Amino acid sequence: MLSFKKLEHFRTQNRYPLLLKMLSPLEKSGAKAKDESGSANSIGAFTALKYHDRLWFGGEFLVQALEQMTLADIAMESGRVAYISAGQRARVLRSFKFRDASFHGLTLAAALAVLILLGGVIVSLFIGALPAIKAFGFGFLVTESWNPVTNRFGAMAPVYGTLITSAIAMLVAVPIGLGIAVFLTELCPPKLRRPLGIAIELLAGIPSIIYGIWGLFVFAPFLQQYVQPTLIGAFGSIPGLSMLFAGPPYGIGILTAGIVLAIMVLPYISSISRDVFEAVPPVLKEAAYGVGCTTSEVVRKVVIPYARAGVVGGVMLALGRALGETMAVTFVIGNAHRISGSLFAPGTTISATIANEFTEAVGDLYTSSLIELGLILFVITFIVLAAARYMLMRIERKAQV
Amino acid sequence: MSLANAVKLDLRTKIAVKNLSFFYGDSIALKSVNMPVYTNKVTALIGPSGCGKSTLLRVMNRMYDLYPRQRAEGEVLLDGENILDAKQDLNLLRARVGMVFQKPTPFPMSIYENIAFGIRLYEKLPKIELDGRVETALKGAALWEEVRDKLNASGLSLSGGQQQRLCIARTVAIQPEVILFDEPASALDPISTAKVEELIDELKANYTIVIVTHNMQQAARVSEYTAFMYLGELVEFGGTSHMFTSPDQQQTQNYITGRFG
Repeated sequence: MLSFKKLEHFRTQNRYPLLLKMLSPLEKSGAKAKDESGSANSIGAFTALKYHDRLWFGGEFLVQALEQMTLADIAMESGRVAYISAGQRARVLRSFKFRDASFHGLTLAAALAVLILLGGVIVSLFIGALPAIKAFGFGFLVTESWNPVTNRFGAMAPVYGTLITSAIAMLVAVPIGLGIAVFLTELCPPKLRRPLGIAIELLAGIPSIIYGIWGLFVFAPFLQQYVQPTLIGAFGSIPGLSMLFAGPPYGIGILTAGIVLAIMVLPYISSISRDVFEAVPPVLKEAAYGVGCTTSEVVRKVVIPYARAGVVGGVMLALGRALGETMAVTFVIGNAHRISGSLFAPGTTISATIANEFTEAVGDLYTSSLIELGLILFVITFIVLAAARYMLMRIERKAQV
Repeated sequence: MSLANAVKLDLRTKIAVKNLSFFYGDSIALKSVNMPVYTNKVTALIGPSGCGKSTLLRVMNRMYDLYPRQRAEGEVLLDGENILDAKQDLNLLRARVGMVFQKPTPFPMSIYENIAFGIRLYEKLPKIELDGRVETALKGAALWEEVRDKLNASGLSLSGGQQQRLCIARTVAIQPEVILFDEPASALDPISTAKVEELIDELKANYTIVIVTHNMQQAARVSEYTAFMYLGELVEFGGTSHMFTSPDQQQTQNYITGRFG
């Protein structure tokens, strides 16, 4: 019989040789043991012993000694084998530590790369814009004229166009998008739910250039022929509103760009809202129905308030998209560097200006002014995102109080 | 229970369930159930999970109507009027038959608004009167002392037990005739549970109550009548003390003594 004390003694002498030779009879005896007892426990104990010990025990006499051990002994001692191999466990743990540290380093590097890229973009935009900033200073922001001939540049018209078209897009898209989401989650017959949902998501997959040509060749003429004359007729004589709907119906212009943008961002708002509406616990809706609410009351008082953080997130994502959208807007906005009170007037946006004029920008100041426009767009987008974060934080804090 | 007995005990039937069968799609959840719910009494529905007791409860205010593939057959008479009728006004029905759920479900608004919300759906009250109704409801749910200083805090800021009492207050505030409790205390600690049970005991003076519970002691403590259900069928209905001491059916006895379920 082999006592544990003996094993411990061999271990302290660090006898490792003839390992493989030692293992083969052990395996045989293991197989035999399985045949005899059929006990999974004994086999488990045997295997544990085999693998743990091969680092610590050496010498053929050990094989014989082990063969003399009864299965019960093996089973009993196996609990202490783990104790024997504490040193080995430390080594394994050390290798884990190394792997963990390198994994940590890799992910950290990925995250840092984003920060470096972001910083790089800001710095290079700023350096590129420096000549224009030096030449015009703060006046760049409040100057309307954009004149390459006299080298006078001001950002007010594109900034105005960007903000107004995005505002129109939001005004149109938010109610419609929420309406779609509410219909899909609360009212839609189950058969229609999937096809409608997919159709709306497909809207997001249409390339912006296609929205552009569709806007220019189909939508703008339609607006020019039917919608704009009607609007002028309806509001033209009302003080205040007449200013918004003044001038000849060009078809293309600020309003057209805003509506095309609205169609483009609609899927973002509706599919994100749908997802967060679906996440509202059914029991909460049942409770609201349970006090006698109608569907519209449940949606307005329970579903939307419950999901508001997600909805705000979706709207902000859409707004970010609308602010930066280039191609479709360039097609339908008319590209005129002026600010007009009328929604029918042509205008321009920051991204449309850059896209239109970059190839023909001669002279450092011209190029630099365009880059400064880009910097301004960057800042606007950043402000929008920061505002969204702030709103979400406030909503969450309010919900916790 | 015989009719003569019922008359003697001054029992009026608030809800009469007649030959009610219920289907989730193709699978049947209730098989021709018949039972009464008596006015101003507490009726407990007990039985193992999946026996149909929650389903029966959800038929009583037609909550199942929200889901397309669920349907009921038979009759459920509320004061003699069949609520399964397609012409039944669901909002009105749910105002008459309120429901408290297993998990507390405060609406995402302030404590005050949680109560006022339901009241405003039916009545246009001046602010002062509304304040009074909110206070009465909160007192009725034994919550007033705990929240009187923070009525504008979010309903979600309360503890689980307080939230559940808020939900009861909300249900009471719209002055229903029947209140359905779907395992109202199963997510609560023993102290909150005791408070809710006490509340149920007080509420029965003014309301008819049906409670689904997994807790046999709770059924014995709060209810006057008990229905034992098993596999979609009503096995036995009777007075609670009778059911818990000498049930007529062997199955009931087995369940109550914990031999199965």
